[in-house]
Amino acid sequence: MGHETYFYFKQTGRNLQQSWGTQLMTLFTVSMSILIFTFFFLVYTNIIKAGDRFGDELRLIVYLDDEVVPEMRPQIKKKITDYSPVEKIVFVSRDEAFHRLNVQLGQEGDVLNDLGAGFLPPSIEVFPKKDLKNLTLIKQFSDYLTTLPGAQKVQFGQGWVERFGYFTELLRVIVFLSGGLLVMATAFMVSYSIRLTVIEKEAELEVLRLVGARSSYIQTPLLIEGFLQGLLSSGIGLGMLYLIFLWTKTHLSGPGFLHLLDITFFPPVTTGIIMGMSILLCTGGSLVSIRKYLRI
Amino acid sequence: MLETYPADRPLVEIVKVTKVYSPDIVALQNISLSVAKGELLFLTGRSGAGKTTLLKLICCVEKPNKGVIEIAGKDLNKLSSPNIQALRRETGVAYQDFKILPRQTVYRNIAIAMEVNYTAAKVIKKRIDELLDVLKLTHKRNIPAGKLSRGEQQRVAIARAAATKPPLILADEPTGNLDPAMSLQVMGLFEKLNEGGSTIIIATHDETLYKNNRYRKVDLHYGQFATQSTLPGFLPPANGNQQKLI
Repeated sequence: MGHETYFYFKQTGRNLQQSWGTQLMTLFTVSMSILIFTFFFLVYTNIIKAGDRFGDELRLIVYLDDEVVPEMRPQIKKKITDYSPVEKIVFVSRDEAFHRLNVQLGQEGDVLNDLGAGFLPPSIEVFPKKDLKNLTLIKQFSDYLTTLPGAQKVQFGQGWVERFGYFTELLRVIVFLSGGLLVMATAFMVSYSIRLTVIEKEAELEVLRLVGARSSYIQTPLLIEGFLQGLLSSGIGLGMLYLIFLWTKTHLSGPGFLHLLDITFFPPVTTGIIMGMSILLCTGGSLVSIRKYLRI
Repeated sequence: MLETYPADRPLVEIVKVTKVYSPDIVALQNISLSVAKGELLFLTGRSGAGKTTLLKLICCVEKPNKGVIEIAGKDLNKLSSPNIQALRRETGVAYQDFKILPRQTVYRNIAIAMEVNYTAAKVIKKRIDELLDVLKLTHKRNIPAGKLSRGEQQRVAIARAAATKPPLILADEPTGNLDPAMSLQVMGLFEKLNEGGSTIIIATHDETLYKNNRYRKVDLHYGQFATQSTLPGFLPPANGNQQKLI
């Protein structure tokens, strides 16, 4: 077994030496495809994570005609939680609303002096559970809340949630498209590379067949070639992505949108899965090409 | 497979074999031949007599249209792909057109036959050094085989066939490009291998190679056996075509 492995790797080395130009081209193309795919995937995962963070602050505000007397509160709470479990429910009186606005305005709070505390409507703030992220579900919940006794209208930053939803959908499509591009580019390049190796080594393969080389002796080095292509390409692609990530972190951090995102790189498990999938893709591509082009 | 085959039975058995190339070129016609284990046999005849075809049939490069070829009791027509590969690993073939890799070194061209057997690098090196010495190619060891003369390339092909000391060696016109002295050297190598137990079939029209020696000769003429010399203790098959004893 030890000897066999030694010869497989020796033969792989020879293959790579003989067709290094093609190998480099394949390596470059597959690395770029992996970089493009992982870039969009990283942006997508960070946006989703940011969405989660923003979602934690999502609340539905039910504006009321009149304040809810303390005796009625348990009843209203029950009515709300009967429809959907929530994180918390906060009853905001006219005075509390006025106080909050005053705090928000800070030094410019003087403008409120002439208005008096009663001009703002009382409200109920409903913080939904974290699993209620779907826009349709939020809308349905919002519609339900308008049926509460004394409810004037319900607000939850609908425009922002909608835009965020569309953006993540768009990113999801881009991730799928770049994933498709990665699969196609890898399959084509690996197949092309194996085909060229087979053509370049035609004479050698004939001699190998004549001296009785086992199928494994001829095929295994080509499979190892595919494995190495996958390993190196994903390593290079992810390495480049990590450099881009570090650069972004260093140069674009500070107060601003990206700071708000608090971007993070893939966890080791995701990195491992991406590498594993790339290796599988390249080795599988080699196997298909070997079966297609190699006559043993 | 060949090494352990009993010595009292023919290693190569050819029974009523016909080979026709498209459209209607008859290369071999209804020929039968037995080669004992450990025998050295000369297959003689002019160019186009069918010698190369017969060797190609024995090493499974071609298939007969009719008849049966058995190596160590195994019908080649029924051999699976892995078994053909195993048979080829036990058969050293020096092809008439050499089948060398011109861009690879002399060393690598010879080593390839041993590498497919996963032989240890040290053993490969030792054996190749021996062969290069016998065939006077030591100084060409690291030169691409394509840069050698025809005679040198032929010796590389012979070295590759002999590299693993295989139980069966087939040599097609092995001295076609060699001078008399080198031909003797090559013949000496084959005799040494034969003494070591290898069964050897040499296809040649070089009379100096097979004249005045103790080995059996089989003469092919237009795809049929014209003459066959005796082999002590060995009886050729009775149903063969045109077999005469001389």
